[in-house]
Amino acid sequence: MRILIIEDEPKVSELVKRGLVAERYAVDTVANGREGLEFTEVYSYDLIILDLMLPGLAGPEVLQRIRRTNTSVPVIALTARDSIDDKVQLFELGVDDYVTKPFAFAELLVRVKALLRRGPVSRSSTLRIGDLELDRLTQQVKRSGRRVDLTAKEYSLLEYLMQNAERVLSRNMIIEHVWDQSFDGITNIVDVYVRHLRSKVDDGYNSKMIHTVRGTGYVLRATGIEP
Amino acid sequence: MNRDSLRYRVTGFFVGWLALALVVFSAAVYLGVKTFLAKSLEHTLADNAQNIASHYVVQREAKGETWFLKEMTEDFPPDTGDQFVRVTQGGKVLYTSGDMRNPYVSTSKLPLPSDPAWVNAIHRETAESGQRLMIYTFAYPAPDGPPVLVESAATIDPIKHVLRSLLLILLLTTPIILVVASIGGYALMSRSLRPVVVLTDQAERVGRKYMGERLPVIRSGDELERLSLSLNRMIDRLEDTLAHNHRFSADASHELRTPLTIIRGQLEELTQRPDLSAEAKDDVGSALEETDRMSHIVESLMAITRLDCGGERIQMVPVDLMAMASVTVDQMHLLADEKNISLICETGPPVYVAGDPMRLKQVMVNLLDNAIKYTTPGGAVSVRVAAEGEQAVMIVADTGIGIPEEALPFVFDRFYRADKARSRESGGVGLGLAIVKSICNAHDGSISVKSGDGRGTMMQVDLPLLRPSPTHAEDAGQVMEPAHRAHSLGHALARERMEEKETRPASAS
Repeated sequence: MRILIIEDEPKVSELVKRGLVAERYAVDTVANGREGLEFTEVYSYDLIILDLMLPGLAGPEVLQRIRRTNTSVPVIALTARDSIDDKVQLFELGVDDYVTKPFAFAELLVRVKALLRRGPVSRSSTLRIGDLELDRLTQQVKRSGRRVDLTAKEYSLLEYLMQNAERVLSRNMIIEHVWDQSFDGITNIVDVYVRHLRSKVDDGYNSKMIHTVRGTGYVLRATGIEP
Repeated sequence: MNRDSLRYRVTGFFVGWLALALVVFSAAVYLGVKTFLAKSLEHTLADNAQNIASHYVVQREAKGETWFLKEMTEDFPPDTGDQFVRVTQGGKVLYTSGDMRNPYVSTSKLPLPSDPAWVNAIHRETAESGQRLMIYTFAYPAPDGPPVLVESAATIDPIKHVLRSLLLILLLTTPIILVVASIGGYALMSRSLRPVVVLTDQAERVGRKYMGERLPVIRSGDELERLSLSLNRMIDRLEDTLAHNHRFSADASHELRTPLTIIRGQLEELTQRPDLSAEAKDDVGSALEETDRMSHIVESLMAITRLDCGGERIQMVPVDLMAMASVTVDQMHLLADEKNISLICETGPPVYVAGDPMRLKQVMVNLLDNAIKYTTPGGAVSVRVAAEGEQAVMIVADTGIGIPEEALPFVFDRFYRADKARSRESGGVGLGLAIVKSICNAHDGSISVKSGDGRGTMMQVDLPLLRPSPTHAEDAGQVMEPAHRAHSLGHALARERMEEKETRPASAS
């Protein structure tokens, strides 16, 4: 899997590159839009990470030109803008997903992985992590065969954590998925729900599945190893 | 009528000056006429006296006393006429025309002209019957003794009558003139100010919506054309400034976010290092939390700046505040349950406003979050949405610690904290209410607060009510672009709301 990063800030592109290389991706970085365009014409990429605030040729312009020749390559935009208007505009431009700076690397990684496996997404009706089982059809959750009663929000929170098991999810991502962006400011809503979910899922079991990663977010792991 | 309006004031000013001018004019006319009439009466009397002296008194010596009396009786008959004539010599009356008739004036008691100051001059007397008399005394030097004194008198009543009529006319016409002038002046002012009213309405529209529109230029070649042109130039400059501001906030936000991204990324890398002690890991985690907080502050500040300088286009779609409130309360129930606070939403009929669903929801979420945060366990938080007149009103009330009175004017200021220690501990950055206020303003609404120490807090949001009619929904879409996008957002929200209700396998509490 080959990824192109078009980002003018060398430290940011270096960070993202290191993180992605650690995940076994092949990564190229370029510092401006013109060069980025040339790279996309010469090489074939599986994914492009594009900063929208580029010197010279601006990000949206670069994207439009890429889309002229290649409509299928997934593009994740790095944006400093966060007004809703801009986000709608982004999707109209042909962005597949975006992260707002500053982002947690985990968040970018989840989005990268989501886009790269987009083709054959297995949406099997049952999610199974360790002894935890979630049935999407009946919306029932069982741990070690014992039924766990969850509210609607707890259910969607657990589903999201299980879908991304072993991956750290930032509070921001959880809010966007399980609530909506109006809750952005009050991150403790996530903490409260996770605490409730944890008491229902982990209480009474020796191995804990839901873990807090300080400063980043939450992760659901099959085994009870501390991160 | 607005007492402060230019129309009213200019007309008032003009009428005031006109009234003053009329009073001065009337006084001058009155005094002038009075003096003129008195003078002319004096002249008549003096002429008369001199006439008698030169025609009758002179010939008296030659033609004898009998002739004199006869002539005088003939020309100035006693007891008739409206004038009085008396001829005396050394205190002896040679002839008197007696009392005046029509009107009756008694003259028998009039003193003889003994005062030398009266000679060849006018003096005034009051007749026994009450009238004021004007008397001219002419001295004819007689060869055979003391001078013959000829008195000619008349009442000044006619003058008084004329003056009274004049005063009446002036008193009647002045107010009539003033009324006519003020009506005319007001009409004239209204006429010349009508373009200004049109300009004002347009300017307000331009101010509230985007800057794209310009004022209609009044091609009259006068001050108003200049006014409309310079207003348009001002809007141009304003638009430039706003665009500059918007660019600045976008740039500033970008410049702040890049270093934050790098700090965040490098700290995250650090936590991955296996050789890090647990203590160091904790410190790095804490630093990460702070970058989160800082990002949040940057985001909030930028949101406020964009909302306040109009850089952010608010999507206007019909929003049912009632439904939104009950969904939000549902979503935040657990936060209240955690603290053993009862959170209720009084249900009622839909209340529609035109607005950005995301932003309006943020208002509710922030207000509820605050209310829950500052309410002690066992307390209550309630939301009420209602239509009151032309306003949609949302009230979030709590039984919490309240806000001290001296802090009330500042609660919507950026970074203001009523209780520093407590709010820092609960993780706020002091921007939540500032954002709420900016959103309310951007929706042509307002927010107010009522509170007291220990008596709970009541936040009230007022937004212009949208009457639920099909044309309204269309209007909102047409006027406030981008329409289709806004609608799809609104629908997305509505869909999410439905899902929310449908996918609830168990109760939220």
